[in-house]
Amino acid sequence: MSDDRHEPESNDLERRLRAALKPVNPGEGFTAGVMARVAAEPRPARRPRSPAVVSWLAFGLAASVVLAVLLAHEWQVRRIEQGREARRQLIEALRVTDEKLNLAYRVVNSRQDAAPAQHSGA
Amino acid sequence: MKVFFPGWHWLAALMAALTASVALAAPAAMLNLPDFDALAAKATETVNISLDPALLGLAAGFLDSSNPDDAATKELIAGLKGIYVRNYTFDQDFSYPSAQVDLVRKQLAAPAWQRLVEVNNTKDHTHVQIYVAVDRGVANGLAIIASEPREFTIVNIVGAIDLAKLRRLEGKFGIPKLDLPNGKDGQAK
Repeated sequence: MSDDRHEPESNDLERRLRAALKPVNPGEGFTAGVMARVAAEPRPARRPRSPAVVSWLAFGLAASVVLAVLLAHEWQVRRIEQGREARRQLIEALRVTDEKLNLAYRVVNSRQDAAPAQHSGA
Repeated sequence: MKVFFPGWHWLAALMAALTASVALAAPAAMLNLPDFDALAAKATETVNISLDPALLGLAAGFLDSSNPDDAATKELIAGLKGIYVRNYTFDQDFSYPSAQVDLVRKQLAAPAWQRLVEVNNTKDHTHVQIYVAVDRGVANGLAIIASEPREFTIVNIVGAIDLAKLRRLEGKFGIPKLDLPNGKDGQAK
């Protein structure tokens, strides 16, 4: 009973909604108009960073770059020094090794030289 | 003069043994060298070199392969795992104690180490021992102990070293030119 009574109102509401929400052609100038309004509206101003903060940021960035370059250079210099020192020590070690092998040989050789002399003397 | 010496082919045998050895170094080939504080305290000149694999690699990186001498050195150390040298020079004869030296000699025992050469010249008071480290029949290390009246030296090379290649470096980098035997019969070059 009550549903029958509300049915005409419901239909009317639906009809009015359909009418209100029906697709409407915005027209040729709509897009241009929207864009013009957007362009005309003042943009919200960005909160400006204080000059001190900007300076510190720039300084920090520059300092980091300089520090990184210096550290890389220092590492490279130390690496070269270590390499040269290692090379020097290697050559020195080979020199000492060769010298002591020669010492052993000389002692043996002196005995070899002495033996024939003893034989010839006897 | 007393000479413990297996034969005149000793150097050739040493070269052959070490040349044929593999590059893998057993830990036994590395001696535990003491600080030699007593020696260093009395020495007028000290050479203390410890080149582990990392430093050997670093040194190799600073050898110029386009230079023949450097290339030969690079080839020589290719199979090495370490070079350790202690050299002390004194201004007086026999001024160094032997206790620390004996600590090293005790390590050079069979079966890990085999004495290849021992020469003792009583006239010059020179005593040189050359040992080779052997692992499963393969030489992978060398030790030299040289006692002279005013000089004491220990050399420990870990890994395979080709002494023939070392000879090729004679006269280069200040390495003295030697008169080591170069023939089958051990004749001097």
